[in-house]
Amino acid sequence: MSTLEYFEVDSTEPVGGQLYRRIASTVITDHNLLKVLERLRIFIDPAIPIFIAVGVTRTVPRTITVSDLAGVTFDEQKITLSIADETYLANLLQFLWKEYGKDHVNQPDRFTIEVQISGDAAESGIEDLAVADPSEGLYKDLIYSMQVICPEGYKVKKQNFNNGRFWFVASENTLPEDVSSLVTEQFEIMGAAS
Amino acid sequence: MILVPITYKGGVFRHDEILDLIEDVGGYIIQKHMIAQEVVLQALVPKDDIDTLKKVSRPLAGEVIPAPLVGTEIAVVSMSVEIHHLPHASCDIAEYLRTAGAKTNMVGLARGFGKRIGLLSDEERDIINEHDLAIYLFGNFETCIKEKMPTFRRGIKVPFIVCGGPSKEALKKIIDPPAAGYIGGMGRFMHRTKEPHEIAMLDEIVAEVSRIIDQKRAMIAKDPLSVTPARLMDIILENVPDIHEVTSPVPVVVQMDGLRVKLPYDPFAKEIKNIEVESGIRIVDICDIHPSRMRDYILLKVKPFSETGMLV
Repeated sequence: MSTLEYFEVDSTEPVGGQLYRRIASTVITDHNLLKVLERLRIFIDPAIPIFIAVGVTRTVPRTITVSDLAGVTFDEQKITLSIADETYLANLLQFLWKEYGKDHVNQPDRFTIEVQISGDAAESGIEDLAVADPSEGLYKDLIYSMQVICPEGYKVKKQNFNNGRFWFVASENTLPEDVSSLVTEQFEIMGAAS
Repeated sequence: MILVPITYKGGVFRHDEILDLIEDVGGYIIQKHMIAQEVVLQALVPKDDIDTLKKVSRPLAGEVIPAPLVGTEIAVVSMSVEIHHLPHASCDIAEYLRTAGAKTNMVGLARGFGKRIGLLSDEERDIINEHDLAIYLFGNFETCIKEKMPTFRRGIKVPFIVCGGPSKEALKKIIDPPAAGYIGGMGRFMHRTKEPHEIAMLDEIVAEVSRIIDQKRAMIAKDPLSVTPARLMDIILENVPDIHEVTSPVPVVVQMDGLRVKLPYDPFAKEIKNIEVESGIRIVDICDIHPSRMRDYILLKVKPFSETGMLV
């Protein structure tokens, strides 16, 4: 966990806290979140019981556009896309089919897509077409990993992800309507440590 | 005749000689696994014949290892079958106990998680009670283990071992009345047990299980069973042809004081009851036969000598 700027698992039971630190470290590594997370603090009090995780992510990746994953060339009414990164190819095809219709989108080979359009190809603005939003997947991955770290009986959950800061609160009992004071406290402890 | 539990590991080549030898000296083969070119036998062999077996297996590059848990069926109770508890530590412990010869069953509880909401259903309780011993795999917090323990021990008649994150001493302190055994530092974790101190912990579990099994064996020896379960297994394998059609790797499971026969109760129980063990003595005379809560298997519990007045 050396790449995290701050990583702390605190608990009212120190032995349990240490063991949960190992669990958190395994889960974060397994879910490939080391590069994404900058700071993470977990607090567990099994007597209440409550589990609070607060953290800060590194710069959230921006929206992926067509020009990020393909080279674009224009020939009158034809657009040719040379795919460089296949990761989002399925999404791209879905967008192209929706935008131009399946009849006008042709994929002669794995790395080439040709699109026939009615107007001038150069003015189509296809380069800026948004294909995927990685932050959406990141949010899901982060919250999923917190659910895995959290003790299983803690079924009542609340979570939030905003502007690179996230929190996750869970308990076996009902949670208070407003958990912001609990979360703020943990953010403050984390902030004070830097 | 004292039967010693052993594991034999060797090649497929001429392994039938080993099988014949074990049967000829009056031993019983409890399980036989053929893995690629390797044969693993779990058997009970008369103490005096262990040296003969070692001598015969030497030219075949076979190995005879003492396996204290052969002939036992152990329940490894996981609090749920979610990613939180599986595959580590549940599978790691179950698998390690198998290397010591035990037949382990994983019992994944439907609502075992949580300290207040954790529950043990009657079906789960009955299934655990069908085993020789249960291992409860709890979490990492003392508070939770202490609060949920009364729920999980209610109605459990077999000895159980408590595994948890806190130290052994802490577990002893919070569990009252005491459990049969304790393993500390083995709570919830999400990585594979491969480091030396983790393997040592698994060895400790085997030692703890062996200790309790030995105590139970000593208890049984005071009032011996009317027939050895391993012998009863041989009799059933000989007399019920349908058992050989069962696809399960172990169609007849040997327990310390009984057997689990993996055939449906309704059509086969009557046939099994009436099998003659020796002239005039039928299985029903020396065993209690019940339908098992595990699928619709048949569960046989051998009656002790004090009850039947017979030693077959």
